Amino acid sequence: MWPTILEIESRRRVRGTVILTAGFAFITAFYLSVFQDFAGDAEAIADAFPEFMFEFFGIEAIHTVEGFIAAEVYSFFWVILVAAYLAYVAGGTVAADIDTRRMDLLLANPVSRESVVLQKLAAFWVPLVGLNVAVPAIVYIGSVLIDEAMNPVAVIMVHLLSIPYLLVCVGIGLVCSVLLNHARSARAIAFGSVFLLWLVDGVSRLDPDLEWVGIVTPSRYYDPTAILVREEYAFVDALVLLVVSIVLVSVALVAFVRRDI
Amino acid sequence: MPAIKLDGLSKRYGDVVANEEVTFDVERGEIFGYLGPNGAGKTTTIRLLLGLIKPSSGTASVLGTDIRDRRALTATKARVGYLPDTLGFHERLTGRRVLAYYGRMRGDERRDELLKLFSPPLDRRVETYSQGNRRMLGIVQAFMHDPDLVIMDEPTAGLDPLKQDRLHQFLEQEREDGTTIFFSSHVLSEVQRICDRVGIIRAGRIVDLEEIEELLSRGGKDVWVRFATTIEESRFRTDQMIDLELLGDTARFGYTGEAKTLLEHLVRFDVLDVDIGDPQLDDVFKHYYGTEAVAGTA
Repeated sequence: MWPTILEIESRRRVRGTVILTAGFAFITAFYLSVFQDFAGDAEAIADAFPEFMFEFFGIEAIHTVEGFIAAEVYSFFWVILVAAYLAYVAGGTVAADIDTRRMDLLLANPVSRESVVLQKLAAFWVPLVGLNVAVPAIVYIGSVLIDEAMNPVAVIMVHLLSIPYLLVCVGIGLVCSVLLNHARSARAIAFGSVFLLWLVDGVSRLDPDLEWVGIVTPSRYYDPTAILVREEYAFVDALVLLVVSIVLVSVALVAFVRRDI
Repeated sequence: MPAIKLDGLSKRYGDVVANEEVTFDVERGEIFGYLGPNGAGKTTTIRLLLGLIKPSSGTASVLGTDIRDRRALTATKARVGYLPDTLGFHERLTGRRVLAYYGRMRGDERRDELLKLFSPPLDRRVETYSQGNRRMLGIVQAFMHDPDLVIMDEPTAGLDPLKQDRLHQFLEQEREDGTTIFFSSHVLSEVQRICDRVGIIRAGRIVDLEEIEELLSRGGKDVWVRFATTIEESRFRTDQMIDLELLGDTARFGYTGEAKTLLEHLVRFDVLDVDIGDPQLDDVFKHYYGTEAVAGTA
């Protein structure tokens, strides 16, 4: 039998996961359907945009289906939309229960505070598994359908290596959720932090003298373009993200155990 | 060993004192009333006992477990029921699902028996519940795992009078079966009716035990009467009346005597309308302690 809190929290993650997956199916279908028209004019279009746009989003080889999908689907929608969404949801996990006094009844059970946080965290398997199974399938099958088959290993890796990155964003949300007293502010600050970090990373890429600033941003350690276009799999970067996410979860655990509710 | 033992339990938020050196015992198998006006610190004590907040100093034990021993307290909660003042349920779940959820974490062997007494609409979502239905769902979850100790924070709030009586009867029956009940209330009459012993908290501090008797005797009833004509104070006043105010054809006073005597007294006058209710505990305190404001935090 499933742990009770994990089960109920998992159910609460289903709806958002389904909506996001549908959104990605739509976005992917749209970009793949316009790819061939786009590829013909790629150079002209690329010339029309200023250089810094490409550096900001880490775009390259946009005339290939790998570069195009990396730029349009992953560099923006996956790296920022999914990440900020997960941080937002994680921001509500604990804070909303405290806000609505659900936490009182929950902690009246013989269940430790650590267990409550870990089960709420574990419930993120639903979006992480759901999105990372459905979206690569859609992307790969879509690329085959338009006769531009992508390397399936690279497609799988772009998702696999994004999991540590997304876990860091969940961790940021969880820390906000535990430290802040209101669900609204916890969600907003979690969402805002992830967005801001992504922005700092992008802006710091524009100036070689400032590039080091981006070292503290999680998106620096996950590069969908490198994975899809150059098939470079940065396992060490993924490991760094994994360690950071474990640190964030530990901080959340310690803070939640210590705090008054 | 007492079911609950508080030993100099204190909780301060900066300069604000929520609980100060609170010390008393709740014996096994008794109904203990924890009485105090709103904001006196009742909920703070309860949240300390459940380990939701940590004491600034002092401690307490619940069923023999020190509340500072987090792991032991977690295990002890399998034998404790809790009805909070504000009931936070998963609003989108049905009452049945809510009970199943808590039941899986700590047992629900008495669920069906309790649902015969307290009957929230189980197949509807909690978000559609009235205050009374929420409270009934809360009562069922607090007792369904057959706990040894039940801690209730203002348990009758939101219940209609019929259900309040049913709860009182139920609590008395639970006591016969050996369950310890600790409940907070700001309603004097409720506590007087069903509690074996009473602890009174005011501005975060426990009122000395010898004062309680007298304090309770000051409780009485709040009476408001309207007469067909203006009446003379000298003819109307009796010794059991406190703070009598006569204004034209209406009278308002606190009454500390027998209900029968009061009614016999009233029918001697040409009464058009009457209202007899419980006094606000704040008023009783004000009367007892003078005009000093009752301060504190929830």
